[in-house]
Amino acid sequence: MDEQTTSENPASADVSFTESTPVTGQGRMDAAWGSRDGDEAATAQVATNSASVGYVFEQVYRPWNGSLNPRWMRNWAILRHHVLGIFRKGHRPWGWPTKLFMVLVFIASLGDVALTLLSSLIGSPELHAMWGVNRDNLYGHVLGFFPRNVLYYPILAALLVGGMISEDRNHGTSALYFSRPISRFDYLMMKYISVAMIQAFVVLFTLMIYYFVEILAMGRGWAWIIDTFPLFLAAFIGGVMLIITYTSIGLGLSSVSRGKFFPGIGLVAIVLGTKTLAILVSNLFERDIMYLLSPYDCLAHVGQALIGTQTTYDQYSWTWSFASIVLMNAFFLYIMSSRVATMEVTRE
Amino acid sequence: MSDYEYLIHTTDLCKSYGPHMALENLNLKVKKGATGLLGPNGAGKSTFLKTMLGLIQATSGEGQVLGHDIRTEGPAIRSRIGYMPEYDALNPEMEAIYQVKYSGELLGMNPTVAMSRAHEVLQYVGLGEQRYREIGGFSTGMKQATKLACSIIHDPELIIADEPSNGLDSVAREFMINTMQNMVNAGDRSVMMASHLMDDVERVCENMVLLHKGKLAAQGKIADLKDIDREIEIHVWGNASKLEEKMLSIGLVVRREGRIMRILHESEDVTTKILACAAEVGSQIRRMHEYEASLEDLFIVIMENLGYEIKTSEDLLRSPVHARQVDAPGYMGGGS
Repeated sequence: MDEQTTSENPASADVSFTESTPVTGQGRMDAAWGSRDGDEAATAQVATNSASVGYVFEQVYRPWNGSLNPRWMRNWAILRHHVLGIFRKGHRPWGWPTKLFMVLVFIASLGDVALTLLSSLIGSPELHAMWGVNRDNLYGHVLGFFPRNVLYYPILAALLVGGMISEDRNHGTSALYFSRPISRFDYLMMKYISVAMIQAFVVLFTLMIYYFVEILAMGRGWAWIIDTFPLFLAAFIGGVMLIITYTSIGLGLSSVSRGKFFPGIGLVAIVLGTKTLAILVSNLFERDIMYLLSPYDCLAHVGQALIGTQTTYDQYSWTWSFASIVLMNAFFLYIMSSRVATMEVTRE
Repeated sequence: MSDYEYLIHTTDLCKSYGPHMALENLNLKVKKGATGLLGPNGAGKSTFLKTMLGLIQATSGEGQVLGHDIRTEGPAIRSRIGYMPEYDALNPEMEAIYQVKYSGELLGMNPTVAMSRAHEVLQYVGLGEQRYREIGGFSTGMKQATKLACSIIHDPELIIADEPSNGLDSVAREFMINTMQNMVNAGDRSVMMASHLMDDVERVCENMVLLHKGKLAAQGKIADLKDIDREIEIHVWGNASKLEEKMLSIGLVVRREGRIMRILHESEDVTTKILACAAEVGSQIRRMHEYEASLEDLFIVIMENLGYEIKTSEDLLRSPVHARQVDAPGYMGGGS
């Protein structure tokens, strides 16, 4: 074949190859790249979208014929939503500072447990006398001022209550609750129990561990248990009062706010600020009565009376402190309930 | 299941906040299907919805929702309806699937069932691919869809949607309206839709309830209510004033906006009369067509002229003709 023409390609129909045609590489270029192929066509190929916009699936309404569970199941849902959120995804999204702080406080609260174990392992009576279970140490585990009621429990409570109610108001998620068969009482009670349960995990669960480790590590018998169990019970009741009071104050503050910062700071300020004020007044004017304004001092006073240690304010009856605690709780519960009663479904 | 005649039935329902009457002698009968709840701001729509949900107590009168007494059976009502709030009601830090699941659990659904159903309803509202995304990153349309999913997770008999298409772009709005229509038509659910967007209400609903200052301004089928204002619109060239006078003289009801006139279509021979008048005065009629009032026109008519004395579409039809007139604005040559 001495002459080749690309008759199939009209664009190169004028190009012919003979023996005398100089080798320019044009033929190879055309064959490889089609460099002249289609250049004369001044129209662009544009891909057309054949999919219709907005309908990428078939919308089929599927009915549901199940039955709804009663009130306890709805309340259980609120409780597990908040409590399990600490441990698992898919429930209330607690912030990582709260989770981290809770772990740190839990470990720190087990400090006396570790030292009790250590004293039993090395057989040191001095160390055990300092850290083992006794009247003062049971009190100190729950109601001791430093570090537990300065650095641990109030701050943990503040982190927990911060957005508990205020975020429902802020995000409008109150509508999610109240447009469903959930009463204000159930809503409040379940939130309250949720916060209290998480605190109880840190305060009371570690107290129980402390007591049982003493029994196991030191090989305590029934006589010792019968002797000390009332003390443990008193410390437990003191812990319950502490949790209830911190939760009431915290949720009361959360209910009047729209953010999580104010309730948290407010709780810490009330717990530590009133305590500081009582100390200042006592030192300056030699009047201790201001302690009745301090939730912590009142709790400590009642706790000391229950457990039977030396009371800080022994010139006053512990019933004054108890009355003060009841009043504080009543006040903040009233604020909480009245604020939650006004939470809207239609708009906030 | 349907042990009731009306979805919502109220008799002389009143709700007052001190001296302010938020709802006054409301007598409503809402049937199955889609119903639009209309009214200007402060009309009492929110109070009405809260009363129907059993969240606030009526001052006097009676009411039933799905056969349940609004005074004593609030939880039962809220179990059987799905409420989609107007404003944000979602936790932005939660993923959509878990938020919808939780809303089902709050109704008493088993967690496993709620999860399964959450997948279904999120698919239905078009968020199937987005269900594991945090709500905080959602667009307004996606948030609205999530709220709708929360409200229909238990397959309620009545869905109360408060401004479902508010703040949505055209695509999202179209989708929301289509979804509402689908629920009513294919899903056989009832919807009560409170909205300021007349077009949306008109597309989804066949019935409407119009509130004004806490009173019932109108209720009935939208088509019936719109029929009262059926008019013929003509575009006139030349001798427009003479034509208007002529038509008025033979008893036609005419509204004029410059060269455009609307004549009340009260009998079959109105078009013949118009053409005869035009021929007599020498006017050219360049265009003639039936003018069907939109829901917005109807809303304005009722609000401005009829007030809240009108109770039903029958009352509206019985009202005097002059009461149904809408004067053209001043800049278009209107009288008042």
